[in-house]
Amino acid sequence: MSAHIASLRLYWTVFALLMVMTVLTVAVTFVDLGAANLYVALGIAIFKATIVVLYFMHARWSSRLTHVVILSGIVFLGILFSFTLADYFTRGYIGVAGK
Amino acid sequence: MWFKNPFVPEQASEFASSVDTFYFFMVSVSAFFAILVVTLVAVFAIRYRRRHEHEAGTPVHGALALELTWTLIPLGIAMVMFFWGASIFFAMSKPPSNAMEIYVVGKRWMWKFQHMTGQREINELHVPVGQPVKLLVGSEDVIHSVYIPAFRVKMDAVPGRTTTLWFTPTKTGRYHLFCAEYCGQKHSGMRGTVVVLEPAEFQAWLAGGPATGSMADAGQKLFNDLACATCHRDDASGRGPSLKDVFGSTVTLAGGATVTADDAYLRESIVNPQAKIVEGYAPLMPTFQGLVTEEQLNQLIAYIKAQAGGTPGTAAPATGTPAPGAPAASGTQPSTE
Amino acid sequence: MDTATVDTRPSYLENGHSWQSWLLTKDHKRIAILYLITITLFFFIGGLFALLIRLELMTPAGDMVEAETYNKFFTMHGVAMVFFFLIPSIPAVLGNFLVPVMIGAKDLAFPRINLLSWYILVVGGLFTLGAVVMGGVDTGWTFYTPYSTAASNTHVIMTGLGVFISGFSSILTGLNFIVTIHKMRAPGMTWFRLPLFIWAHYATSIIQILGTPVVAIAVLLVALERTLHIGIFDPNLGGDPVLYQHLFWFYSHPAVYIMVLPGMGVISELIAAFARKAIFGYKFVAFSSLGIALVGFFVWGHHMFVSSQSVYAALIFSFLSYLVAIPSAIKTFNWTATLYKGSISYQSPMIYAFGFLGLFLVGGLTGLFLAALGLDVHVHDTYFVVAHFHYIMVGGSIMAYLGGMHYWWPKISGRMYPEGWAKFAALMVFVGFNLTFFPQFLLGYLGMPRRYHMYPEEWQVLNVLSTAGASILGVGYLIPMVYFTWSFVKGEKAPANPWGATGLEWTIPSPPPTENFTTTPIVTEEAYAYSNREMKVA
Repeated sequence: MSAHIASLRLYWTVFALLMVMTVLTVAVTFVDLGAANLYVALGIAIFKATIVVLYFMHARWSSRLTHVVILSGIVFLGILFSFTLADYFTRGYIGVAGK
Repeated sequence: MWFKNPFVPEQASEFASSVDTFYFFMVSVSAFFAILVVTLVAVFAIRYRRRHEHEAGTPVHGALALELTWTLIPLGIAMVMFFWGASIFFAMSKPPSNAMEIYVVGKRWMWKFQHMTGQREINELHVPVGQPVKLLVGSEDVIHSVYIPAFRVKMDAVPGRTTTLWFTPTKTGRYHLFCAEYCGQKHSGMRGTVVVLEPAEFQAWLAGGPATGSMADAGQKLFNDLACATCHRDDASGRGPSLKDVFGSTVTLAGGATVTADDAYLRESIVNPQAKIVEGYAPLMPTFQGLVTEEQLNQLIAYIKAQAGGTPGTAAPATGTPAPGAPAASGTQPSTE
Repeated sequence: MDTATVDTRPSYLENGHSWQSWLLTKDHKRIAILYLITITLFFFIGGLFALLIRLELMTPAGDMVEAETYNKFFTMHGVAMVFFFLIPSIPAVLGNFLVPVMIGAKDLAFPRINLLSWYILVVGGLFTLGAVVMGGVDTGWTFYTPYSTAASNTHVIMTGLGVFISGFSSILTGLNFIVTIHKMRAPGMTWFRLPLFIWAHYATSIIQILGTPVVAIAVLLVALERTLHIGIFDPNLGGDPVLYQHLFWFYSHPAVYIMVLPGMGVISELIAAFARKAIFGYKFVAFSSLGIALVGFFVWGHHMFVSSQSVYAALIFSFLSYLVAIPSAIKTFNWTATLYKGSISYQSPMIYAFGFLGLFLVGGLTGLFLAALGLDVHVHDTYFVVAHFHYIMVGGSIMAYLGGMHYWWPKISGRMYPEGWAKFAALMVFVGFNLTFFPQFLLGYLGMPRRYHMYPEEWQVLNVLSTAGASILGVGYLIPMVYFTWSFVKGEKAPANPWGATGLEWTIPSPPPTENFTTTPIVTEEAYAYSNREMKVA
């Protein structure tokens, strides 16, 4: 169905980028960045996922409807995270154990 | 209630009447809407029954006004329910500062209670009438739930955390205590009795129990046996921070963040000491996860709390602020300090 | 449009009689039959466990079976009913059969994936049945941690895998429906001409696709923690047991809407057909389905009011739970208003629809009790909750499922069933259901906790009533099973449109030919355009 045919060159570029990022992920584990450790690792992972979806899964050339479908998945993940964290971050606000 | 409703459990705490009043409001509103809809359906079904086989209904076009009516009125009623329910919940969530503390530990399949004065009970809990009681709930294995229907209160006992439940008994007697969260084989056998006594009777009961020493005393013994005292000294000379007066104070952590030293913080610092390191100290402390039982953990915390004399909430009646309605209890209970 | 009567093609039932023609079929109608047989089997397994539970609870002492056995009974009852009957029931049977037909399509968008999703359900079911045969599982259908990961010594992993696998069946069915509804509507079948059954299935599919992966992950993490002792949920390994509850209910609360939304779709069809009138406030009913699907994802924390969740989170979840009640209220009022000036007949599917209205009303209203923070503290984890969700999931979903089966059975089988027996069964189910579950509301408020093998003596009377009701209910469910089977062979031949109903499914023969339509239908009118036509039965 996908009318767009991406060039082989683009695929190899994306692939190379993914490999570089993988090496980078391993590399930063050797550097202690303190609190930033988690965010750097997550940032790299999100970047990799994004280019996979955009290029390998052809989302870049897909219809608006496909974009809505992809975004809705991300939005729902956001709901799961934000509402769960809403519990964790507000625990102990009223100074009573376990409330 | 001027008559005994067989479908309502005994009202034996201050929450019972407020919960029941709310419940009757909910039942009335529900009954009104149920009867309304059922009557309309019945009336329409009879009035507009099919009279011959080829008959079709008369088209009626939707009406925005009607749709808005049956959207906004239920919404309004729902908001009343929300606020009413939330206000009761808030009252249930915040124990008064003069509440008498009792530690509860759930273990498959029994309930263990320990009073601040040291008395232990299994599957039976004695409390004085008219005195706010705060249960600090823990679990040794899986999730349990303390449920006392006559008081209309319930709180899960979550392993690894301390949770809180409070009530003021208003009527002497014996009431069911259930485990409400499924915990395995003998879940339905994990039952107990709450015995509500007159304050004087309660004092007599306390005096009659075996004198094992207060929770804080037991905690102090543990504190020495586990060699906590080697590092946590009363002055600042130890390798660990001094624990005197730490409960209720604001602690500055490595990295600059601050935290209030409450029950949860003390517990975490014992079982997972690396989670929050106090500023100026090295992360040397080993974990005591699995080395101390839930009850011992409670005793250690009680000891640390007792060292912070006068902090509201620690063994309330002993702090010298008599609980309203329970002067006898506050006057005679042994001090933990 | 009435070319149906001259159609001479073989029906989908006649088109091939070999095993392969069924087990390798790509026909959505045959796959629906495969699902029907599978989930009926699970309904009976789940029902058998329900019966055993009620028998044990006739006496306060735990004297019929051991506590451990009893715990396995209610776990297997829940797992079989929720994951292998209720979730697939209406979508996989009626939805599979009707979604393509109702929108004027030849089949679903992905016929092979459709067959695959049935096989996946069967494989998941076999894992779960395997766990039962090997000795069962005792965690409750909720698999709460750390009991499920650190304490239970039953077949948690095997059951969990069954649930995990069957989840993919649900996801693929949802995906198939969404693509079909978007891409395969007949010319003229605009979004607002779709029958409300389709809207309901569209909303359901969204939940299936977005929610199911989360429960799959939660169950997988339970299995990993049991085997590899990774510390996710067990506090002894540094995990948090409450996190599991967040993950589990993120799916499992919306899953209630997977069970009830298709039922609401069925009821909209039944009420329109037997009042011969367009559904009042069509757009409100359609959008309320989407509203439920969306807001339903924000309310899961109301299962956790006493779980040591923070007070502020509880407040948000309670508030949103009240909001999700509104679309259900809108639907109920619109159904009621549809009856006004209708031409109402009391044929058996309509009797089921009336039953649904009554039971769903009670179930929905008692949901308001549980959303109220201060009241939920008392009734949480008691029989009040048990009664509430049975009113929704059995009183609501199964009433709708049976109503739908009676309504579309002539189309599915090409045969009529005995109307008198059908009405009698509907009455038995209604009476038996109320007698079983109404006493449980009273028990719950009195404080009887759920999952109790034995209980204090003062509650025996209400428990005996409940057990008595369950036996009536059981017979009520058996009767349709018998006459449906009988009618499949011996029933009177059904005409194309026995009810004089609108909808594309009634324009083709009963049972339909494999390709459904001879030529692609062209839709020129709204759904339920009863007044535009000469009423004709047959």
